[in-house]
Amino acid sequence: MTSPKLIEHFFRHEYGRLVAILSCRVGVQYIEDIEDAVQSALMSALELWTIDGLPDNPSGWLFRVAQNNLMGELRRRSGRDRILARTAIQELDRHGGPEVFLAGEVNDDLLRMLFVCCDEALPVPSKLVLALKVLCGFDIREIALQLFTSEANVYKRLSRARERLRVFPFQAGDLTHERVAMRLPAVHKILYLIFTEGYLSSRVETAIRRELCDEAIRLTTILAKHPWGQAPETFALLALMHLHAARMTARQDPCGGLLLLEEQDRALWDQRQIQVGMTWLGRSAQGDHFSRYHAEAGIAAEHCLARSFQETCWEKVVSCYALLERIAPSPIHKLNRAVAVLEWRGAEAGLAVLDGFEPPTWLEGSYLWSAVLADLHGRCGNLQTADSYREMACQLAPTSAVKALLLRRLEIGRP
Amino acid sequence: MSKKNYLCIQRSQSGACEQPSPAQMEMMYAKFHAWKEKFQDNIVDMGGKLGDGAVVSSEGATDGPFVELKEVVGGFMIVVAESLEEAMTVVRESPGVVMPGSSVEIREIHTS
Repeated sequence: MTSPKLIEHFFRHEYGRLVAILSCRVGVQYIEDIEDAVQSALMSALELWTIDGLPDNPSGWLFRVAQNNLMGELRRRSGRDRILARTAIQELDRHGGPEVFLAGEVNDDLLRMLFVCCDEALPVPSKLVLALKVLCGFDIREIALQLFTSEANVYKRLSRARERLRVFPFQAGDLTHERVAMRLPAVHKILYLIFTEGYLSSRVETAIRRELCDEAIRLTTILAKHPWGQAPETFALLALMHLHAARMTARQDPCGGLLLLEEQDRALWDQRQIQVGMTWLGRSAQGDHFSRYHAEAGIAAEHCLARSFQETCWEKVVSCYALLERIAPSPIHKLNRAVAVLEWRGAEAGLAVLDGFEPPTWLEGSYLWSAVLADLHGRCGNLQTADSYREMACQLAPTSAVKALLLRRLEIGRP
Repeated sequence: MSKKNYLCIQRSQSGACEQPSPAQMEMMYAKFHAWKEKFQDNIVDMGGKLGDGAVVSSEGATDGPFVELKEVVGGFMIVVAESLEEAMTVVRESPGVVMPGSSVEIREIHTS
């Protein structure tokens, strides 16, 4: 019996690791059986380890039990399924069970699973749910909470993904060099979404959000260190995650209220993590492709490097937003550029950015649009227009924390 | 006052209970160890989880446990304590009673 300490997130990360290893061995068409086998192995571990203490090699123990569970399940098949399952059983037998895995091998399998999740035929929400389930080890309830959606909805997306894997099992061996290169942008997008679901959400508790950001950083780091992922976009993506996450704790006051950038205590920013982010940003500056991740990391870096809000180099922020708008056109980026121009050249110049711009309905109906216009008009001295936008913004604010933030923000800079 | 041994019988509702997620398992594991450490002087035998078996009587034998019953004995352990109250404190804080529908019965073991 050894000391009962387990590393953080041991159960969740073992789940992802084991599902990946077993899927690579028997094929992703068995994903559901594999997930069940791993879940029961973890349950057995919980029951036995709490009584008898930890085995010498917990990961090896789990692998053996999960593999035996899976073999048992496959042997129970009958008819045509039995013949198919025989191949899978042979694969498991052939590999045997090295109980100690090299970290590199495990990461290979995890990455293969990540690329398998990013199947072109799957809609983005299904890819996202699948990745959170099989790679990060979250269950349906937890994913529903993270994505503010119903469990039924998560279940539906997951079923769709599993069905696709069952009918068109994409095998680890199918991941040729071309395939990997082709799927890499989709992989980036999913990792980016896992991060932003955590970082940007204004509704869930900090702990849940932090967890998503950490997962995104964990997987992106594995990708960035692997030959498959060694592309400037990957490095830029990882840089932007670190540069945002480093400032996460400073975004909230002790009561959980949101803080404006100018109100944040910059001493709380994690300088070590900013350094890590800057190193990845440096590595991303190669090749001739400037991606949206480069632009976003560039903006985050400007904020991280500024000693105070006033000392922010708004000119660089503005040019990054302009690039972002060109690479990934979105009215949100235009809106952000208007705000940056306001800080750089004043409210009238900021308002001019939106001259003749017709916001799409979804943006016009969001508090962001009204809030930015209230700010711009307020600082231009058009107080009546500003007030009506401010009222609208407050009505549309999704939470009281956001509303409080808006009211404070819109007091700043008014004549 | 000499200490007494108590047999603790854990029961839970049979039938479908939702499986914990890996993250919840991590929490349960941590809680269990905190509890075990806190009451290490009281826990004589961690016992174990009870599996399938049989029931033998003068009329023969049947398979056990009785699945038709609503509550199933799931595990046992032996606790040493000055009094029933003390044994109850140990059990009350144990992870064995946190699941809805689960309970622990405490019975003194008379040895003399």
